[in-house]
Amino acid sequence: MSASTSSVELHPGPAKDLAVARSLGRRRHRTNLIVKTLCVTATALGLLLLASILFTLLWNGFGGLSLSVFTNTTKPPGSNGGLLNAIVGTLIQTGIGTLIGTPIGLMVGTYLAEYGGHSALSNAVRFVSDVLLSAPSILIGLFIYQLAVEPFGGFSGIAGCLALAVLVIPIVVRTTEDMLRLIPSSLREAAIGLGAPKWKVIVLICYRAAKDGIVTGILLAIARIAGETAPLLFTSLGNLNWSVSLGAPMASLPVTIYQYAGSAFEDWVQLAWVGALLITVGVLALNIAARVALRGRS
Amino acid sequence: MSTTMSGQQSQQSGYGGVQIHSSTEINAAKISIENVDFFYGDNRALKSVNLNLPDRQVTGMIGPSGCGKSTLLRVLNRMYDLYPGQRATGAAMMDGQNIISPDTDLNTLRARIGMVFQKPTPFPMTIYDNIAFGVKLHEKLSKSQMDERVEWSLTRGALWTEVKDRLQTSAMGLSGGQQQRLCIARTIAVRPEVILLDEPTSALDPISTLKIEELIDELKHDFTIAIVTHNMQLAARCADQVAFFYLGEMVEVAPAAQLFTAPKEKRTQDYVTGRFG
Repeated sequence: MSASTSSVELHPGPAKDLAVARSLGRRRHRTNLIVKTLCVTATALGLLLLASILFTLLWNGFGGLSLSVFTNTTKPPGSNGGLLNAIVGTLIQTGIGTLIGTPIGLMVGTYLAEYGGHSALSNAVRFVSDVLLSAPSILIGLFIYQLAVEPFGGFSGIAGCLALAVLVIPIVVRTTEDMLRLIPSSLREAAIGLGAPKWKVIVLICYRAAKDGIVTGILLAIARIAGETAPLLFTSLGNLNWSVSLGAPMASLPVTIYQYAGSAFEDWVQLAWVGALLITVGVLALNIAARVALRGRS
Repeated sequence: MSTTMSGQQSQQSGYGGVQIHSSTEINAAKISIENVDFFYGDNRALKSVNLNLPDRQVTGMIGPSGCGKSTLLRVLNRMYDLYPGQRATGAAMMDGQNIISPDTDLNTLRARIGMVFQKPTPFPMTIYDNIAFGVKLHEKLSKSQMDERVEWSLTRGALWTEVKDRLQTSAMGLSGGQQQRLCIARTIAVRPEVILLDEPTSALDPISTLKIEELIDELKHDFTIAIVTHNMQLAARCADQVAFFYLGEMVEVAPAAQLFTAPKEKRTQDYVTGRFG
């Protein structure tokens, strides 16, 4: 530190040779242009596809939108049917599915981030959860069919809820663990340094710090299950009549879309478009509402 | 505040014109550290450290990065317990009780020995709740008692006048220096006996640093303080006694004036004069 001035000369930079510097600059400029063009093209392509899907959906969906969609239940073709039972069925099943799946997912995610570390058990749990995350949802339907449909002798709304809950769990586990891991250990140490027991640190400090991310994870899960068809086919089956009983087969928008979209009746196909529009708009509204609410508080 | 110095304090000039003010009387020990070793796995980070923290005085800990100063602080409030593979041996006696003993109740210990970290760590809640958080862990107070405690600790943390009109706003909106004073106030609110400060000013600008420095000077009337710092000026001005650490050893401890002007050890002299480190 107190050494006398060193005799090592500074490395001559490229700027010393102007010709080299210019040619390097041109090359960088060219490369930059190529990469930028590729990126913009890819983005435009993606947006175009998305816009086309949304436009088709809006065009066909709005065409069939009317009050009777919300007031009438599904009816035989040509008798001015609506989607009321399907809408209510989806709300019930998505709601209960989320209510069952979220606490389990939250607790598993908390275990993985706060308690398990990289022990053999938590690595196994993490692996299974990731496999579940990418498992085909029809398998989940079959799983619940074996567990909650066959033993009880029939399709039921609650079986649908359970199938959707199973889908919620791995999504919430992953986001909860990731968000809790993002919290700097200094924040935990600060709380522990005040004499707080670990569970209070997790509940009062960590959850609060990770709130936005965790809520986003739950919303993602809701968005995912609101549009799921496959897990419901073997569980809540669908119901053409009005029913809110969890013990009986229950209608839902995705299953109704699935049944109506491929039918030969024009008004059923039209209703399928409306149903698709309702799911999309519902999920979008939920996302926006949550974002606004979260921003307002922080 | 630097204009009035009590009689026992003196102003001297050490190496490099460092201003030193300190009392030469060192009080009886609040905590006495006896033969403490510390291990990160197999790596021995502290080697038979012996050091007394005098009651209601400031002990400065200096030394190059990685020499074990922060590790020693983390031993004193058992923060290392959070991490498997870290362990301490030896004794750190406070009021006849060994802090390092496995029987020590950690939550009570940490209420008695508070800690402030290098980076300000406000909790993601309101300023009021930041202070109340620690208090609620150990005491049951009524609303008005809590209001009083919040005001008391923010006043002691030299932050009250700046935040009294926005106690219910998020603490994340405070500046870095204010956040650090909030963290100090939060620690004081629990009414600890000892406060450990781990480089509390290294992330702050000079003005905020000065405020923290004045605050430490103020706090030592009521608390036993240990402060780890790379800032020689800070150690010289705030500390009553200074300990120099090097490669896991406590090389020398002496009243600040003596350590900065007439160190006994060659290594201490080299460090405080800036010859290495």
